[in-house]
Amino acid sequence: MKRRGHHPFTTRRQFLARSATLAAAAGLATAGETKAQAPSAAVVPVEPFWGEHQSGIVTPAQRHSYFAAFDLTTSKRSDVADLLRAWTIAAARMAEGKTAQPLEESLKPVMVSKPQAKAYDHYQPANLTGVAADSGESLGLSPARLTVTFGFGPALFVKDGADRYELAAQRPSALVDMPRFVGDQLVEGHTGGDLSVQACADDQQVAFHAVRQLARIAADVATIRWAQSGFLPDGPAHETPRNLMGFKDGTVNPSITEPAAMAKFVWVGEEGPGWMRGGSYLVVRRIRMALEHWDRVNTKFQEQTIGRHKYSGAPLGKSSEFDALDLDTNDKDGNPVIAENAHVRLAAAATNDGAQFLRRPYSYNDGVNVTAERWPPWRQGLEYDAGLFFISYQRDPRNGFIKVYERMAKFDMMNQFVTHVGSGLFACPRGANPDSFIGRELFGA
Amino acid sequence: MKRAILFLLATAMFDMAEAHAASVLEGLHRHTTIASTVTENGDLNPYAVVVAPVSAGKIKKGDILVDNFNNQSNLQGTGTTIVIINRANKSVSLFAKLPQKLPQCPGGVGLTTAMTMLSSGWVIVGSTPSTDGTTATKGAGCLLVFDANGKLTTVWKGSRINGPWGNMAIIDKGSTATLFISMSGFDVPGPDKIDPKTGEPVTINKAIVLRVDLAISPGAPPKVTGQTIVASGFGQRADKDAFLIGPTGLALIGNTLYVSDAVENRIVAIPDAATRKDSAGTGRTVTKDGLLQRPLALAVTGNGHILATNAKNGQVVEFDPASGKQLGAQWINTNQAQSPPGNGNLFGLAMAPDGKSFYSVQDDVNTLLETAP
Repeated sequence: MKRRGHHPFTTRRQFLARSATLAAAAGLATAGETKAQAPSAAVVPVEPFWGEHQSGIVTPAQRHSYFAAFDLTTSKRSDVADLLRAWTIAAARMAEGKTAQPLEESLKPVMVSKPQAKAYDHYQPANLTGVAADSGESLGLSPARLTVTFGFGPALFVKDGADRYELAAQRPSALVDMPRFVGDQLVEGHTGGDLSVQACADDQQVAFHAVRQLARIAADVATIRWAQSGFLPDGPAHETPRNLMGFKDGTVNPSITEPAAMAKFVWVGEEGPGWMRGGSYLVVRRIRMALEHWDRVNTKFQEQTIGRHKYSGAPLGKSSEFDALDLDTNDKDGNPVIAENAHVRLAAAATNDGAQFLRRPYSYNDGVNVTAERWPPWRQGLEYDAGLFFISYQRDPRNGFIKVYERMAKFDMMNQFVTHVGSGLFACPRGANPDSFIGRELFGA
Repeated sequence: MKRAILFLLATAMFDMAEAHAASVLEGLHRHTTIASTVTENGDLNPYAVVVAPVSAGKIKKGDILVDNFNNQSNLQGTGTTIVIINRANKSVSLFAKLPQKLPQCPGGVGLTTAMTMLSSGWVIVGSTPSTDGTTATKGAGCLLVFDANGKLTTVWKGSRINGPWGNMAIIDKGSTATLFISMSGFDVPGPDKIDPKTGEPVTINKAIVLRVDLAISPGAPPKVTGQTIVASGFGQRADKDAFLIGPTGLALIGNTLYVSDAVENRIVAIPDAATRKDSAGTGRTVTKDGLLQRPLALAVTGNGHILATNAKNGQVVEFDPASGKQLGAQWINTNQAQSPPGNGNLFGLAMAPDGKSFYSVQDDVNTLLETAP
């Protein structure tokens, strides 16, 4: 998969013309606002926010991600719609390199019309005494191809049996409760959520800035439940990145440059409700790797576990990375060359009735903490809390992640080096136009 | 995974040739994962492997029964489930599931390698329970009797039942049956009580092999008609990783019972096991060390050899019980995530109906493996 080198605006002039148009269409003030710094290069790294599909799904992966799941604290449906409207506007602004809200004004939380928020609700030019409309750490930075992708968890529709927002009847059948998989060790603090926000950018500070601003705006309506940052290596654009196991990850992935493949495997079609057509289902998994254990294992066994050669990335028995997997060749004893429990065999579309989905994973690294490995030799102690923040998009999770992983959870040789500790399933609605907002059709607003 | 056959090289050439020709392991080349043994409730660590001798209730003849020793939290001595695996279609279904706490069973439920199915359809399994995954909280346990539909009907406990542990040997005559069960739990302390001489948890030489005679009437659970200690004085000790180390595997050939003495790394023979009225102590050593690396479950091959699973590597060892000669070993778990490969991954073992192939549990990945020609 080609990951980088994809820039929707090739010149600064195009970018400025486009952003002015978008801003005007959105009814946003442009004059006098803080702009992104004038890039020295001709290319301005902006990914378009508005469109048929949300950005951040088939967008070539940026270097950094910051994912957050939110729980709604309001009991009012209109508050949720107001939040999504405010988030949409702020996300669109930030994608263009602007502050989340106009900096000339004070912060306008979504609850601004509520009595308890009245204090914020007045215009103060050059305001230094009010709470700033934006925390400011992205000032002067490039937009860094920021994308912000929103999703709705099952709990938005029904939570603990309660239909909080009169949305239960609109819950898509594909937005299932995730089954429990063999080996799952899910931690409450890394699992679930009513709403999801995935921010990706080529600058870590830009990605975190985006989620941080949205959380500020959400005050009194929604609160962060859990969050996870992620990163990709800054490798050559034409090479598949290696994950923390030292293997190339993502060689086999439906191509984001082929609309037909995306329509088949990623975008919800006529089978979904109107608000989901052109949207996609997001499955995230926080996968902790026992790196200390992996690092003691000889390379040949690592290759058997994965089913690929470590350095070339080629399937076992082949010489180049993009050679087709040969799942049918046996050794002289009649045992398969790519082991029956090798990761690539179990993940292959050929062994999953053709099931595929789009993987968009990031590595994560959260320092060290005390843990007990779950596999022989059951090492215990201070270990890296690092691994893969697995992000995937699919047309229907029942024919995507859930179908494929159900078998992998049981048989994948890699399981003894990884533990799934966090999980989430979210319905990411279709994209929005500047006169609308993400999820508007669901709320009938 | 690539596996290799090792042959004992210490013997003279003509001995090699002789052993070579008779080896069952030599003819086995294919290793196939049959199924995951993890249950809906997340139970892990498959232990016993039993091939059903008859069709009865939920079970079809040739089905493979496997129990789990650990619960979802991976604590040893807390598994409560038995699954049925159909070899032909690789399907897995639940045979029985017990509550963790069972008042009739001292300490609760943690199902062990001591399991069998009688031709009358009854399934009998041992429990060596804990509450924290170590012997510090170990209860004496019990023997649990299920009907062929997985319904618990009877629980046997008593002063001679403590830590029923290894695979059973049985004599099954339909209306009567005899079970041989190793008991490895007497007075075993927690794993933190260390013997200063060895640096390992203290060894207590109190493990026994119990013979249990049963009478089986149609429509009623088996009744215990006699209990005899036929062997005693085996070493047993706690272990942080393996929970418990003690006599484990049992295999009966004629009237001689073979016992894997894991602590002493040897196989011993107990003469007249089915008929004797007293204990033979630890019996006669048949084979020791060599390819053995803490032997666990035993199984008798179609040609009268015995296979033993090794705890400390991923090999199965074949020996001739008549001569005591070790014939060879084969890697059936080469998982190099452990050192040496497969260390700690093998336990239960059972011959397939053809007398050559065998089934074994893979505790590293929680599956049942078939090794076949």
